[in-house]
Amino acid sequence: MVSCTYGKTLLKIEDVSLEYDGRPILKHVSAEIRDIIRADCTQGQVVGFLGPSGIGKTQLFRIIAGLNRPTSGRVSINGTDRPVQAGEVGVVAQDYPLFEHRTVLSNLLLAANQKEKDDKVAREKVMQYLNEFELIDKARLYPVQLSGGQRQRCAIIQQILCSDHFLLMDEPFSGLDLLMLERTCALIQKVANMDELNTIIVVTHDVTAAASVADHLWLMGRDHDAQGNPVPGSHIVETYDLIERDLCWHPEIITHPKFVDFVREVKDRFRTL
Amino acid sequence: MHEAIEVLAPNRVISRKTVRWMVGFQLVMLLCIWIFSPSVFLPKPKEVLQALSDLWFEGLGSELITSFLLNLEAIAISTILSLLMAYLTVIPFFRPIVAFLSKLRFLSMVGLTFFFTLMATSGHELKLFLLVFSVSVFFVTGMAEVVASVPKEKFDLARTLRMGEWRVVYEVIVLGQADKAFEVLRQNAAMGWMMLTMVEGISRSEGGVGAMLLNQNKHFHLSAVFAIQLTILLLGLGQDYAIGLLREIFCPYADLTLERK
Repeated sequence: MVSCTYGKTLLKIEDVSLEYDGRPILKHVSAEIRDIIRADCTQGQVVGFLGPSGIGKTQLFRIIAGLNRPTSGRVSINGTDRPVQAGEVGVVAQDYPLFEHRTVLSNLLLAANQKEKDDKVAREKVMQYLNEFELIDKARLYPVQLSGGQRQRCAIIQQILCSDHFLLMDEPFSGLDLLMLERTCALIQKVANMDELNTIIVVTHDVTAAASVADHLWLMGRDHDAQGNPVPGSHIVETYDLIERDLCWHPEIITHPKFVDFVREVKDRFRTL
Repeated sequence: MHEAIEVLAPNRVISRKTVRWMVGFQLVMLLCIWIFSPSVFLPKPKEVLQALSDLWFEGLGSELITSFLLNLEAIAISTILSLLMAYLTVIPFFRPIVAFLSKLRFLSMVGLTFFFTLMATSGHELKLFLLVFSVSVFFVTGMAEVVASVPKEKFDLARTLRMGEWRVVYEVIVLGQADKAFEVLRQNAAMGWMMLTMVEGISRSEGGVGAMLLNQNKHFHLSAVFAIQLTILLLGLGQDYAIGLLREIFCPYADLTLERK
């Protein structure tokens, strides 16, 4: 098993509940992400956030991003005791929104300048990312002129430039072919490992892809009453520690029999939600 | 031959060369219909050209300038007022006010003349009030619709980039919808010309092509009427082209995904 220790709490979801018109959507959701420390490398954190459609993933996603306020409870980051604010957690939505009226370079400079007031430093940072993510020759193009993959990378860079090491990704594997799926998984790991504090939460239906990139999985669902009917109000019903199971940070992990068994286990649990 | 069939098939993208041929052909057809039309109420091109020449010596040029400047002034004021009102719909308090202003587009201009006459201190001001009012109620309707149709994701994107709410408005609505604002302006500026002739008929103090048109109409000088209409059409086309050009310069991204550019 790859050895690691846990450092400070980076993100904490404390007893979050959400109601709409008196109808519970989320009920007492609690979870936390801690800094994973490995002696030999820079290791970011990746959490796979799974759950059936309509379970309230997007609602929790928006609360973690600071875009919506919960009815009760709190999400905080970096050990602060105040609720997370919009902008502190980067959000890469499913269709990779960018400002269509700005070029790639302008989109990124805008994001960089929100955090770094020195124009020269911001520009250098943007150029560094553009090189790193092989987008330097696309800098003068408008978002509509980019391919899906290029747009995804651009949206990720934009959010990294502005957020405090946190990135929420909504369905990044949706509709991708096998090659693009592998590239996206590699990209997520690359982004996570760019900084020790980088933390990515991937919201998805794809159990295999999520398990292949994540160090932890959160499974969201609802409780059931005696008759087997779901009780309104979702919460995290299961947390899987992939480090503990030695299913993390191994190349070609998806072909490993233990991994295949694990995915089956998660899928079986998924069906009961 | 293949290209000729293409122009009649749905959703075909045709080359610029084919477009030129097609438009050329349609213009020739239109000219032929015009020249050979048996209708006595349709003046022939030669008569229209003669009337145009006569009107020119009677001062069509200066009347055009008067009308053009009045229209330009009205469009400029309408644009500023309408954009401001439409952008203000981001504040809930202003939404009912703008919705009310938008409903005023059903009112007749004739019915408003008396009210505006009391307010105005000169004929020019009366015409300006009438024009600004009639263009603005349509402009604000179109632009408020543009503002309301901005998807939630765009606002979220701006908020995740640490923008305050006023900055969100500037980035997502003012800058982000600039291409659509140009389009709404283009439509309403064209409407300005339509209203202008009516307004110049209501108050003839400064003349203008509208007054000229009504005079010729009154005396059944159909060739002169056609000549003035043709001049207004050409000027309108120039105005339309100029606004389109500005849109292309300031919003080059706007048409990048269109099938028909």
